[in-house]
Amino acid sequence: MTGLASASSLFLLAAGLSLIFGALGIVNFAHGSFYMLGAYLLFWMTRGDAGSFWHYLLLAVAASVVIGAVVERIFLRPVLRRPEHFQILLTYALLLIIADVCRIAFGSDYKSISMPPGFSGPVFVLGTAFPAYYAGLVGLAASAAILLWLLLHRTRYGLLVRAVTQDREMLEALGVNVPALFTVVFAVGIGLAGFGGAVSLPLQSTSTDVAVDAVISAFIVVVVGGLGSIWGALLGAFLIGEVQAFGALVLPEFSIVFVYLLMALVLLFRPWGLLGRAPAVRT
Amino acid sequence: MKQLPTFVFVVLLVLPWLLPAYAVQVAIQALVLAGFAMSFNFLFQNTGLLSFGHAAFFGAGAYTAALLMSKAGWGYLAALPVALAASALVALVIGFLSVRLTKIYFTMLTLAFAQMLWAVAHRWYNFTGGDNGITGVRPAGILGTAHGLYYLSLACLVAVSLVLSLVSRSPAGYTLRAVRDNPARVAAIGVSSFEYVLAAFVLSGMLSGLSGFLQLAWQRSAFPDLLFWTTSAQVIIASILGGSGRFYGPVVGAAVLVSAQAVVQSHTQYWPLALGLVLLALVLFFPAGVAGLFSRAERRREEESERAAA
Repeated sequence: MTGLASASSLFLLAAGLSLIFGALGIVNFAHGSFYMLGAYLLFWMTRGDAGSFWHYLLLAVAASVVIGAVVERIFLRPVLRRPEHFQILLTYALLLIIADVCRIAFGSDYKSISMPPGFSGPVFVLGTAFPAYYAGLVGLAASAAILLWLLLHRTRYGLLVRAVTQDREMLEALGVNVPALFTVVFAVGIGLAGFGGAVSLPLQSTSTDVAVDAVISAFIVVVVGGLGSIWGALLGAFLIGEVQAFGALVLPEFSIVFVYLLMALVLLFRPWGLLGRAPAVRT
Repeated sequence: MKQLPTFVFVVLLVLPWLLPAYAVQVAIQALVLAGFAMSFNFLFQNTGLLSFGHAAFFGAGAYTAALLMSKAGWGYLAALPVALAASALVALVIGFLSVRLTKIYFTMLTLAFAQMLWAVAHRWYNFTGGDNGITGVRPAGILGTAHGLYYLSLACLVAVSLVLSLVSRSPAGYTLRAVRDNPARVAAIGVSSFEYVLAAFVLSGMLSGLSGFLQLAWQRSAFPDLLFWTTSAQVIIASILGGSGRFYGPVVGAAVLVSAQAVVQSHTQYWPLALGLVLLALVLFFPAGVAGLFSRAERRREEESERAAA
């Protein structure tokens, strides 16, 4: 259950990364930084008091969405058509900047917050007590996954987002405003990262070191599940949680090694991920 | 301009006698990073494969020497061949599995393998010391002094650039670039590209291990950070900052990066912020890197002199 709760936060983070990669083709090294930023924003808004957690959670997610839109407009747009290593360099620059800005604004000590009201009591799963917040978190992530799927597969806008992953030029030729689409997708992806970061705050404290670990975790989830696939991100987050739990039973010191091993195995045998689609043209 | 590397080399020979002690330390760091960046860029430039796992080879070189010195009592230089062999072996294994993939899949796979090594070094307290690292590793004799290490690093950098320029200009170098530009055509001619790319990967990894070996003597300790993905990011940044399209671009990038870090850190603790802002500006406004700036100025000068001659 503890694993499931952190997998939920991980899913939100990874789904955003996957969405952005799928549509924009950008590997966002700053993704973990926006996760961290979401946690810091929530902490700053609530001032460490969990009283009106849910209101401020909404506000923190909204702020992340706005930040995502602004970052896409100003920084990402100029490099979208440039070689990959420029995009990596740019998002890495954002990672460095966000880490130091957070350090200046919030200090480098650990920030945490208690469980929100109504979710601080225990629930019993198979006779063991868990904080109710864990169950709430799993529910949140599950509804987010379903909502995302509905948006992508049952709305016209979702259709456009899926289309742009296939053929950007064709979509532009059909008169779709692709740059605006990119801004929306990036903003939603960053919103998801901020969401994941904010809801993780009662689980684990945040500090400026969180970003580099979070982005790697998100990479693993997305690579294992399949780049650009929502269900893949869900499966990936779940698998990572399980592998880590399983590894902790067998070889507690090296549970993290198993996670990287899983990632390497998937990359070797299914480079496009467990639920991803193989590229039609291998270049 | 052809004489420029020779001129720079002569300056570098006398440099430690002109600099204060602290600056010599900075210069050693720059030489080490320069060699590392050249090794990384050799692979990136000749095969088009962007490795995000070069920290693995850098760390393998450093950890091998550190373990031999602290556990088996070996001398520093005696550990060099083993450190090189270990990095080459790590590169052979990772390369054998990775170079079949291209583009982002290759990048992510190298990242995964390097992180795996990091995780092992980070947790295996009995062998690598875990996150306490291996400390108190110091070369004996002249190599333990700043000047000794400086000249060793300089010699290694010269050796690395000689080897890499020879290989780049050899038939194998041309084959590599042909594979990069048109793999289907190379296969049609009957050349097996896998061996060439793998050999380039191993060479790049082995020379990165040499830089890790020098880094160990510089910081006199080995920590898991050497293997962490931010180390791989650092070497990519140095290469692109200097201009990865030019042979000596990574050297320029490493020198600029390390000296800028030393200057900024003496004034403020917010070096990452400064670096981030510089990178942003670089990506958005100067895509050819610092070396690209020079060559642009150079081209303008040449054009002007041609016009003057006409």
